[in-house]
Amino acid sequence: MLFSSIPFLYYFLPMVLMVYFLAPRKAKNTVLLVSSLIFYGWGEPKLLFLMVFTIVLFYFCGLAIGARPSARWKKAWLLVSVVISLALLGIFKYADFFIGSFNTLTGLSIPLLRLTLPVGISFYTFQSLSYTIDVYRGSVPPQKNLLSFGAYVSMFPQLIAGPIVRYADIDRELEERTHSWEGFSLGMGRFLVGLGKKVILADNFALLMKLFRESDEKSVLFYWLYAVAFTLNIYFDFSGYSDMAIGLGRMFGFHFPENFNYPYLSKSITEFWRRWHMTLGSWFRDYVYIPMGGNRVRRGRWVWNILTVWMLTGLWHGAAWNFVLWGLFFGIFLMMEKWVPGLQKLPNALRHGYVMLAVIFSFVLFNANSLSQAAGDMAGMLGLGGLPLISAPAVYYLKSYGLLFLMGILGATPLVKTLARKAADTKAAWVLEPLVLAALLLVCTAYLVDGSFSPFLYFRF
Amino acid sequence: MKKRNLAVLLLWAVLTGAAWLLPARELSQAERRPLAQMPAISGQTILNGKFMTGFEKYSLDQFPLRDGFRTIKSLFHFYGLHQLDNNGIYLAKGYAVKQEYPANADSVAHALERFTHLYEKYLQDSRVSMAIVPDKGYYLQDGHLRMDYDRFYADFAQELPWAQQIDLRECLSLEDYYRTDIHWRQEKLAKAAAALCQGLGVGAFDPEEFTVTALERPFYGVYYGQAALPMEPETMYLLENAVIQACRVYDYESGKENPVYDLGKLTGRDLYEVFLSGSRSLLTIENPNSRTDRELILFRDSFGSAMAPLLLADYAKITLVDLRYIPIDRLDRFLDFHGQDVLLLYSIPVLNNSQTIK
Repeated sequence: MLFSSIPFLYYFLPMVLMVYFLAPRKAKNTVLLVSSLIFYGWGEPKLLFLMVFTIVLFYFCGLAIGARPSARWKKAWLLVSVVISLALLGIFKYADFFIGSFNTLTGLSIPLLRLTLPVGISFYTFQSLSYTIDVYRGSVPPQKNLLSFGAYVSMFPQLIAGPIVRYADIDRELEERTHSWEGFSLGMGRFLVGLGKKVILADNFALLMKLFRESDEKSVLFYWLYAVAFTLNIYFDFSGYSDMAIGLGRMFGFHFPENFNYPYLSKSITEFWRRWHMTLGSWFRDYVYIPMGGNRVRRGRWVWNILTVWMLTGLWHGAAWNFVLWGLFFGIFLMMEKWVPGLQKLPNALRHGYVMLAVIFSFVLFNANSLSQAAGDMAGMLGLGGLPLISAPAVYYLKSYGLLFLMGILGATPLVKTLARKAADTKAAWVLEPLVLAALLLVCTAYLVDGSFSPFLYFRF
Repeated sequence: MKKRNLAVLLLWAVLTGAAWLLPARELSQAERRPLAQMPAISGQTILNGKFMTGFEKYSLDQFPLRDGFRTIKSLFHFYGLHQLDNNGIYLAKGYAVKQEYPANADSVAHALERFTHLYEKYLQDSRVSMAIVPDKGYYLQDGHLRMDYDRFYADFAQELPWAQQIDLRECLSLEDYYRTDIHWRQEKLAKAAAALCQGLGVGAFDPEEFTVTALERPFYGVYYGQAALPMEPETMYLLENAVIQACRVYDYESGKENPVYDLGKLTGRDLYEVFLSGSRSLLTIENPNSRTDRELILFRDSFGSAMAPLLLADYAKITLVDLRYIPIDRLDRFLDFHGQDVLLLYSIPVLNNSQTIK
């Protein structure tokens, strides 16, 4: 089930909210668990067992680790949780990628598994891993209540597209959280803003991308429109989902971590990754990069650590070579920024321009169906192959989407937030805030009813 | 709670309540289609996902004020986001127009192949004419995407040398089409009918031979529903005379006879079906008052339904064939081809999306 769908907005969510707030405090986590399993089973009824298995596996591994056995047994239980969950992730998400690559290399034709990819498996696997690793490190106690733990792993607001909420982020709130009307209202507002980002901005940019792919009249301008459209699409799609998740969490009394901080303002790739998908970046830093030795090793080993982490980051996003290259692309830029002197001294405009160019090209690679399509798209952007500079459809769509591009570019800066904060304490806010939120609800509903409906990009991860 | 947002929660709750409690509707008049109903729930439909898929369709189709919400979307899309079209439909000079762009080379090739097959199999003894009906976009030069119409017409002229091309482009104008519909207006077809009569080599078309009758029911065309914009309904007119009234139409599908103007369709989903009862695969119109004993086979799409009555004066029999509903290779089971006049009358929207031609 998508957040940006009529069944979620007008059937599932209202029903869950009603039951949740009518339920006694002790039963609230059970309500969350049951509703999350329904939410997950709605799209994947046959794969519900995998979710339940993951909950049970990590619950018992957490208990076993937390029971303070010998160091060897602690490590063994940790390994059980890591190996089994990564094996499941590997089988469901990566098996066909590796088999296909192996077949290509060797000329063999080992049959593919063609398994359905369980929605959100990368997110809930990483969240669960953070739990057993943190229990192993002693930074959080194990959760003794299976229902509460199940509610954490399966919690529908952030189950399928993040942010990656570590157990340590909400362990206290799982036991004791405050439900306030103030928090509910803030959460609702945040949810509606995220819904607007997804439905009004991201989905309309997605439509332009589809029109680009279908067109036989490509031009350099059209390739750039496509590339910028996807750069905005993926930001508003993913940050919109994160806003909705954080907003829903707030409505239920949780404080989820932020996932985006205006990444397109960055003046270096290092800064970009501190602002983009922050919970994934910090997860890899804390659970992969630092355990590998981080930067406190010889330079050769450091290079290896960086490339490994970024290759894994790419692979986390999808089982295809373009994702691997996408991760390595950023790894190389990050190393360059560390070791090439003078980059930080360039004027801000140049640094910002360089970051945006790198990011736009990286997303063209990211969104391609194959490496050859990525190469073709980049060649198109560079005007190679005798492509015309402009074409009739490119000019038409530039005119048609001009305002949307402007809204997207301004929306990717803190401008709107700053204006909203300035207006928040004025009398006008009493009228403006509910008016804007109601308009967002109505317009998004109108788009959904009209059938402009596209799945979240991050579902496949 | 920040009390100022209570109104938003209330609005959400009211819409939710309406979605849960309002009875399901059967049909959408604006979209001319049945609406999805609540799917059956069982262990099997849940496990195979059919219940979920069905419920998603149901919740979208049965959402309260569905048409109103679709209008909000269209208005926001056009006036809020300043988009030039909404799902490929745009407004120009008060007309809702479907953007027919680009020319679909595969579709043109398919149509050419089918027509060539038709000619080689049945029509080599006939005098064949072809007329392509332009879409409304042909008459608009307003910054929207336009296909290369000259090339489109030239492709058919070059690849079908056995057919005499009758060019209708100069015989029509934007005003000859409905504002809310894809089709042309029958009462405005005098020039086009005259061009066709001249091309077919029959007597000149005389508009004075017809009286114009307005239908009482307002006409909401197909783009009215698709565009979901507040447009005024139109009046549909029929051209009538004694010749048309005396004709009988035989429908091969139902085996029934109908009048040329099927007034039984006045209460149907689409008022345009008044012309020859709408989409039918094979019809013959017998004209007892024809000035000659000539026969015409009209291969056509829905535009032909409004034009055929205007060609009756000099034909004792007109056979109308819609190749979207009957395959070419099965025609000889029903028709005897013996050198009748033949006219291929097809609109650009069909030729540019011709995969349905069998």
